[in-house]
Amino acid sequence: MTPLLEIRGLVKRFLGVTAVEAVDLTVEPGELVSLIGPNGSGKTTLFNCVTGYLAADGGRVLFRGRDVTNAAPHRIMRQGLGRTFQQVSVFGRLTALENLLVFLQQHQEENLLARLLRTPRLRRLEGQAVERARSLLDLVGLAAKADAPAGSLSYGQRKLLAFAAALMPDPDLLLLDEPAAAVSPTMINQMKDHILALHRQGKTVLLVEHNMDVVMDISRRIVVLDHGQKIAEGPPDAIRRDPKVIEAYFGR
Amino acid sequence: MPENRGAPRAPHLSSAWLALGVLAVAAPWLVASVAPAQQRYVVHVLIFTALFAALALSYDLVVGHVGSLSLAHPAFFGVGAYTAAILSTRAGWPFVADLLAGVLLAGVVATLAGVPLFRLVEHTFAVGTLAFAVVAWIVATNWVEVTRGPLCITGIPKPSLGLPGGSRLAITTLPAYYWLALGALAVVALLYHAMTTFRLGRALHAVRDNEPLAAAAGIDPLKYRMLAFVVGGALAGGIGALYAHYLSVFCPEEMTVALTVNLLVIVFLGGVGSLRGVLVGALLFTALPEVLRLAPTWRLVIYGGLLLVIVIRSPEGIESLLRRPAGARGGR
Repeated sequence: MTPLLEIRGLVKRFLGVTAVEAVDLTVEPGELVSLIGPNGSGKTTLFNCVTGYLAADGGRVLFRGRDVTNAAPHRIMRQGLGRTFQQVSVFGRLTALENLLVFLQQHQEENLLARLLRTPRLRRLEGQAVERARSLLDLVGLAAKADAPAGSLSYGQRKLLAFAAALMPDPDLLLLDEPAAAVSPTMINQMKDHILALHRQGKTVLLVEHNMDVVMDISRRIVVLDHGQKIAEGPPDAIRRDPKVIEAYFGR
Repeated sequence: MPENRGAPRAPHLSSAWLALGVLAVAAPWLVASVAPAQQRYVVHVLIFTALFAALALSYDLVVGHVGSLSLAHPAFFGVGAYTAAILSTRAGWPFVADLLAGVLLAGVVATLAGVPLFRLVEHTFAVGTLAFAVVAWIVATNWVEVTRGPLCITGIPKPSLGLPGGSRLAITTLPAYYWLALGALAVVALLYHAMTTFRLGRALHAVRDNEPLAAAAGIDPLKYRMLAFVVGGALAGGIGALYAHYLSVFCPEEMTVALTVNLLVIVFLGGVGSLRGVLVGALLFTALPEVLRLAPTWRLVIYGGLLLVIVIRSPEGIESLLRRPAGARGGR
């Protein structure tokens, strides 16, 4: 079976500093994989290279066997990838509901004239999209905020909104960048539950996370980066005991 | 922002627009009955108001809806005006044809300018578009063989519309020209509304609010910035053509930075990104300087003072004063 995501020898340098050095990573359909590592180990850089936000200096990225290396972000996303950002990211002046609708509409209709004229087909799709958006808002507990501008929501609420938005087009692979960073312990648990629920529904998830507890609890396979290099890969128990990982996190 | 999500619009809203439309159409007669001696002057101001409202709406597509602070608008206005002026005076093109040529050429120029200009972002984009507008003005001033430079293009004929059945309707009176300008405003406003609501508007606003996230949603940010820039530029060209036909003279001074300043005042003090706000801004800031002519010595002082008061009291524009209180906005 072709892997869903295949990263081969990915390299990214910033002014001579190598942020990601020849990293290989494969994600099979239905897997929940975590990417961990100390601050500055290149996790987010790797994410940004995979999703087209940064141009890789070497290596290849294959999604469902198709080469998407250095394609524009919007093109990669339309092939069935979804991502969230480490910094909370919403459309501040759109309502919570509209924030979700944006994420589905581009996958459905590109024809400008049809959108200008609001064809019956588009109106029907829009109705279905509103229904789906409402159920996702309900899932993350933001149903009451549907018509509030996203910019007026609290930090935690915006984080949940961004998560729900990424789910809107039902992506085949979901890339989550530190979903548990800078939120309350209650919300960390909430996030964990959401991610596990997605995994149980058969969704493929690649998680970048700093918080070891979250990762150890929910992932089946963990990849550890340090100074841009992959230093370990395996199930949580093996990672926990790996001397190289312990050294990277706590020093020798 | 009035938003229509497939549900029938609230009746009071559309009836308010209808009443406004009737009032606008009837304005010349109202003026004639209230102040017959002043009719010519007042209708002249109304024509300017309608043309500036349409121009400001085309500008707001770029500034208000994709959030790109373009200062290039006078260039597109000028391209449309010169195209119409030259084609009608030297080549004898009929009004509708030279108007369409003005729209088209301004759109083409906006496309050609937009490709390199959108490699710039934020402040550099503003400076780049400003430079483009200045270059366009210098070309208009110095390319004497085509534009006649500071001598201006004169004798631009009054428009005449071909009617079904072969007869022609010449727009010679002031009220007739006012209705023509009002019709243009209505066309621009309808297009503005269609582009800035529903899915298209949402995509534009997504690009404005957060470009990286818009890309994550599968939106090509450059495509939507270009769309707003080119449609805005093409409409500005059309308004330029109408403006040249109305005044029957077009000079390079009409496309200087002063025009951008006017548009910025209308859009930002009226209410950026809002159809209603821009219309109110155009009405106020086109008519107000005229009304203030009653006190010529203090005119600019009063005008400047009023601008300051609005900026301080209502930084989001006058439109924000018209909105219903926050609690009542849940159902929009």
